[in-house]
Amino acid sequence: MAATTESVKTDAAEAPLLNVRNMLLGASLYIVFYGWVRWYEGVYGWSAGLDSFAPEFETYWMNFLYIEFVLEASTAGILWGYIWKTRDRKVMSITPREELRRHFTHWVWLVMYAIAIYYGASYFTEQDGTWHQTIVRDTDFTPSHIIEFYLSYPIYIITGFASFLYAKTRLPAYQQGMSLQYMVSVIGPFMILPNVGLNEWGHTFWFMEELFVAPLHYGFVFFGWAALGVMGVVNTEVASISKLLKKDLA
Amino acid sequence: MSASQSAVRSRAEAVKVSRTFDWLICFTLFFVVLGGYHIHYMLTGGDWDFWTDWKDRRLWVTVAPIVSITFPAAVQAMLWWRYRLPFGAVLCILGLLLGEWVNRYLNFWGWTYFPVNFVFPSNLMPGAILLDVILMLSGSMTATAVLGGLAYGLVFYPGNWAIVGPLHVPVEYNGMMMTLADLQGYHYVRTGTPEYIRMVEKGTLRTFGKDVAPVSAFFSGFVSILIYFLWHFFGRWFNSTEFVKSA
Repeated sequence: MAATTESVKTDAAEAPLLNVRNMLLGASLYIVFYGWVRWYEGVYGWSAGLDSFAPEFETYWMNFLYIEFVLEASTAGILWGYIWKTRDRKVMSITPREELRRHFTHWVWLVMYAIAIYYGASYFTEQDGTWHQTIVRDTDFTPSHIIEFYLSYPIYIITGFASFLYAKTRLPAYQQGMSLQYMVSVIGPFMILPNVGLNEWGHTFWFMEELFVAPLHYGFVFFGWAALGVMGVVNTEVASISKLLKKDLA
Repeated sequence: MSASQSAVRSRAEAVKVSRTFDWLICFTLFFVVLGGYHIHYMLTGGDWDFWTDWKDRRLWVTVAPIVSITFPAAVQAMLWWRYRLPFGAVLCILGLLLGEWVNRYLNFWGWTYFPVNFVFPSNLMPGAILLDVILMLSGSMTATAVLGGLAYGLVFYPGNWAIVGPLHVPVEYNGMMMTLADLQGYHYVRTGTPEYIRMVEKGTLRTFGKDVAPVSAFFSGFVSILIYFLWHFFGRWFNSTEFVKSA
């Protein structure tokens, strides 16, 4: 069907299907923030992060930890609360075009989750290995841990649950119950944070020479497998989007 | 909502929308799988992957393929069996290698000053290519598990030979014989320095007679077959689109 003057005017007035600006802004937020974090580690890791009993450790690292706890709890409360409070109570009555727009917005959230998971599970977790092999720890709160466990993990938890909540409150495809693999892909990585408790407890019992392959770390491995739940989310989305587009692609 | 209403205004828009979703899906799948795979691999085979003086002929050759065939098997269960896309294994390994290389350069070198020729990651690409090609040509999960799994284990050491070979040249230092990799390790002593931990080339006198690497490679290939089967079924479960209804 060729575009008419009417539909061109309609296109100009309505919101875009994919808000590319929001997606790029969101991605930049994570990348620039973590770039700053990496700079902070580079400078204050060596100058103030080697001895947890030193006063500069308290200034530059423990204060960082306390501030990040407050900011994370606030962000989680505000973000999740907003998504829940503004939920669509007539979600099954939306038009197909609006449903398509919301699928795009949902994918923007999933792209943010992918970026957050990359930094949390890959970048800062392997970084921890090199710090531990260099500096023998004297406390559970090391520069690498304060960033890895208590910043990057909560950030992907906040993002993942926001993504899940968005789908649950805005998309018809998710009203038939709780998507099993979506829960796996969000709750599994979330469980890595309580597993940190087990990990630190174990480190206070045994010297493991800071090896990564010590069996104490297998809890992280198990919950890391849950990231594969994203495959089920992709399959659910592909099925819903295919239904929306099928007759137009034929 | 009218059944005749369409989400798009033209076929051209439908095609554009579909392609845009492809990009968003590929990006998300790549980085989420990367995160999960990297945390899995670094905590099961990581120490052997981090340091050249851990890249021996026994545990490195044995452990690395066994623990790294997991995610490729699961992702193939989705990409090939659902979408007939023959790059599941290569996608996983490319992601893992990207995560590892970024880390080794920016953190192992950039933060703690270990030289990159000491901390480069193992090369897993040849095995990944074999896994995908065998699946694509055979169309059989069993053939991929048996032939692909065995090949994955066997090709690991040759695939790293050209890189690691120069570091296995022997040198004599203060009356002691060691490899160049060992010498690198002594210059960069870590909390897990191998001679203290002994998770590197631990064995009996018979172990070091000959044929250490091929024996490790065959054992690794054999166990990789079993791991492939197991993880194919894990992958099928992770592919599910089931919804849990409240009681």
